[in-house]
Amino acid sequence: MVVEIGGFAVADWVTLAPTLVLVAASLLVFLIDTVEPRPGSSSNAVLAAVTTVGSLLAFLVAGYLLVVGVGQERVTGPVSMFNGQLVVDGMSLFFVVIVGSVTALVALASYDYLAGEAYQAEYYALVLLAATGMSLMASANSLATAFVCLELSSLPSYALVAFYKDNRGSVEASLKYFLVGALSSSVLVYGISLVYAASGRLQFGAVAEQLGARPEFAGVLGVGVVMVLLGFAFKTASVPFHFWAPEAYEGAPAPVSAFLSSASKAAGFVLAFRLFLTAFPEVGGLAGGDPAVDWVVAVQVLAVVTMFVGNFAAATQEKVKRMLAYSSVGHAGYVLIGLAAISAPDSGFVLGASMMHLLVYGFMNTGAFLFVALAEQWGIGRTFQDFNGLSTQAPLACAAMTVFLFSLAGLPIGGGFISKLYLLAATAKAGTWLLGAALIVNSALSLYYYSRVVKAMWFEEPDGTVEIESYPTSLYAAVVIAAVATVVLLPAFGLLSPSAFNAASGLF
Amino acid sequence: MAILSEFYLLLSAAVFSIGLYGILTRSNALVFLMSVELMLNAANINLVAFSFHYGNVTGQVFSLFTMALAAAEVAIGIGIVLVLYRNFEDIDVTKAATMRW
Repeated sequence: MVVEIGGFAVADWVTLAPTLVLVAASLLVFLIDTVEPRPGSSSNAVLAAVTTVGSLLAFLVAGYLLVVGVGQERVTGPVSMFNGQLVVDGMSLFFVVIVGSVTALVALASYDYLAGEAYQAEYYALVLLAATGMSLMASANSLATAFVCLELSSLPSYALVAFYKDNRGSVEASLKYFLVGALSSSVLVYGISLVYAASGRLQFGAVAEQLGARPEFAGVLGVGVVMVLLGFAFKTASVPFHFWAPEAYEGAPAPVSAFLSSASKAAGFVLAFRLFLTAFPEVGGLAGGDPAVDWVVAVQVLAVVTMFVGNFAAATQEKVKRMLAYSSVGHAGYVLIGLAAISAPDSGFVLGASMMHLLVYGFMNTGAFLFVALAEQWGIGRTFQDFNGLSTQAPLACAAMTVFLFSLAGLPIGGGFISKLYLLAATAKAGTWLLGAALIVNSALSLYYYSRVVKAMWFEEPDGTVEIESYPTSLYAAVVIAAVATVVLLPAFGLLSPSAFNAASGLF
Repeated sequence: MAILSEFYLLLSAAVFSIGLYGILTRSNALVFLMSVELMLNAANINLVAFSFHYGNVTGQVFSLFTMALAAAEVAIGIGIVLVLYRNFEDIDVTKAATMRW
């Protein structure tokens, strides 16, 4: 099949170029490692550069394809490949943009963070392979490819969390991440088998067609849909499979925590959006009539519970990284609003608001975790008190962290303000007042625990024992770039949101 | 005479439950891995049985994918259990609890 990109007729697989770039970069990393198996500091720089440039290229190519309208209604319509197993449309490109930008930031920061560590080629290759899985998850259009892509992103992540294999925290984090991950993936695949039992199909569109509004085996299908939802709860760190998140994020190397909590979460959400909206729209009652399997209510419950659990647990933490981990659970609850309020008349707006929140979240949350990486590099400890008076020694990084935290809380200093406002408007449009109230209450609560860090950094007196000796350039660059992006997304939000809304409307 | 598809559902549900019971009650990491295998294979029973029921091979092909991925998952899992043993001198999953829940 032939599609047209910017005036040129090319084969349809060219639209997968961002993913192919990531694959090529990971193979290149392996190749460099083969040529120079015991890397000195020079080849470490090459490895980090290949990873950063590769993911940046994936980000730019996906952005270009999105801008010229590939896969969207105004140009070609969704590009479907391999008998409908993969599809490239506005939504998949939008999420590849998120994954690519987060991966580039993480790779840039890892260069300084990993200085002096062994096995760096393996680290970068695993990051790129996981990113490949995540970008493919955005395109998966069948339960089979969905599961394969999900595992492709999960398996390297388990290994990445255990990267410090002599560190008990890292190993323990990886063990817990793996145990919960293995359990939830078997729940997911059992759910898939039940959906197959009820419909006899695996491709999303064919499942919807076969089920219709009144499926024959509604009971079996209902159990299957709930189990699939639980499987995705793991990937997006939502209740009830959220309890791995604080452990894994705390024990893992901080750039890996940033990667998992931003990119992996976004990839889980795009797959959940596509699956539930193209495979189960009619059984969920979105086409009107009584739902046979009311998954919308299930998602609403999960969204509210996830928001409260994440934010209340974050408020009680003593360690900054753990607080960020629970706040990441809370943000999964905010993003779930996109599915929970989907019955609104303007569903493209509701889903688009969630997508925009994930885009902004990709920068501000990655930045916040990278600041923690910086703090770990300085060896200043992990609790709130350890950050006391840090601004006297590192004002630039502390200013960036302040931007991240206030933007995460939803103050008008970064894009997080508008994306939360849109989510609130989405709940109002759907008339789901409980969701809106939960969003407001939790945002107010989150301001409390985010301000604790800001207060420690700017207003507390330093205890004078910590002396910062070095200012790692690449880590600093990554933090500052993320901060600039977060701030720029405030005025530029209006430029990007139409593409999110268009991409979201393409699913209905 | 062919066996009714409903019986396969019962069988797979039983196998899945046995696996889940193993995960919830055992603390040995290797037994945990075996239990996960049971749960994945319960899904395979469904996929193969309903592939026959509907007369297409989609489910059978997907069950091959599931097996391959289960093997990959166990490979990673064994690696993690190995470093667990090196760091904690045990493969009891409840021993690795230095972080607060």
